[in-house]
Amino acid sequence: MCRSGRMFAPTKVWRKWHQKINLGQKRFATASALAASSNAALLMARGHRVSTVAEVPLVVASSAFEGAAITKTQAAISFLKAVGAGQELEKVKASKKLRAGKGKLRGRRYRQRRGPLVVYSPETDGKELIKAFRNIPGVETSSVYDLNLLQLAPGGHLGRFIIWTSSAFAALDQIYGSTTEASALKKDFLLPSALVAQPDIGKIINSSEIQAVLRPVKGGAITKRTQVQKKNPLRNRQVLLRLNPYAAQYSKDKVGQQKVTGEKAPKTSELFLDVINEP
Amino acid sequence: MSLSTDLLWEVTRNNSAFLVNRRTGGGARFSRDPLNLTNVYSRKYEGSINEKAFGVQPAAEGGVEVSVKKAGKANKPASALQTSTIGKGKSTRKTYQSIVNSTTKRHYRPDLRAEAVARASAIRQSQRPKKATPERKLRGRKAEKAAEVEA
Repeated sequence: MCRSGRMFAPTKVWRKWHQKINLGQKRFATASALAASSNAALLMARGHRVSTVAEVPLVVASSAFEGAAITKTQAAISFLKAVGAGQELEKVKASKKLRAGKGKLRGRRYRQRRGPLVVYSPETDGKELIKAFRNIPGVETSSVYDLNLLQLAPGGHLGRFIIWTSSAFAALDQIYGSTTEASALKKDFLLPSALVAQPDIGKIINSSEIQAVLRPVKGGAITKRTQVQKKNPLRNRQVLLRLNPYAAQYSKDKVGQQKVTGEKAPKTSELFLDVINEP
Repeated sequence: MSLSTDLLWEVTRNNSAFLVNRRTGGGARFSRDPLNLTNVYSRKYEGSINEKAFGVQPAAEGGVEVSVKKAGKANKPASALQTSTIGKGKSTRKTYQSIVNSTTKRHYRPDLRAEAVARASAIRQSQRPKKATPERKLRGRKAEKAAEVEA
């Protein structure tokens, strides 16, 4: 019997504990998680402190592990600090909290963040480093030949901070192949190829192919507003100038202030007035 | 190889370490990203997923610190940012001008001009020394008693 259930309906230990996932889907997920781990923005979005890391994906020469160079935790810590993972270690250390709820009684007493995942190739890097890293909070190690999706994307969130040894990184080509070359170690496996060639929406919109079939912008750069408040041209100078371009020159020459020069117009002759006023 | 920022946004849109969901304000979504000028979690303002972005943060010794994303350094986190500090000795107007001249005036995210100035302004405002609250005046019976004691 396992947990819950009642006397007349006891739960059975042969309950279906695991969910079968198709192999192709599992491989697809692993490949996606690995791809995501090579993007700094996704690492930061997962919460990893990688601002001091030189490059993502972070690959360290296997010579650093040669001849069981890192067997002690002390050496492992100084190695992690040297590659810029010091902040990450601090974060994990500070994150250890007592779990809420009954899980405390069931062997899951504490919760803490995940730190970096050190991926090695057991043939060249040896296995001594496992012992060196295993007591550092949050740090996990994994052989490149059996990567675990639970470690690559914990909680279903992409972008685990992975520290690769150079031989492990080189082994990826052999393990996963490429989009055109089949994997050497997995049967019938090609890396998933991209469904879209151009995932950048801005570039698609601005491409000449799209722009060519769009209707031209209505009105151009300047569009006439439909409803505008009427402005008084006698008070608003800009409106005056629009109606009467001469106004600028008029005020510049101070025509309005000029005195009348020259002689006065001759008086209208009496005869003319008489003629025009004739009844 | 760098991934498309549109793809990154689709991945991180609903789940990110920077995202802060609030129940108040109609479920406001804020951001903890230092490269986010408004602290609003959106495609435009989220600096970590945009190719070009800059952030304004309070500097350690007063003033503001402007960090600008370098081009082509997306996957080199340690050298991805160009940071410069505008000290507290500079007037606020000069501070805004300096920020604008080094970013939006050079056509680097011209859409963020007002946001950058507003953020710098808020930071400088927060760094002003606090005035002590004036002592409360006694009123009514207490005031009468105090006057009696003094007299």
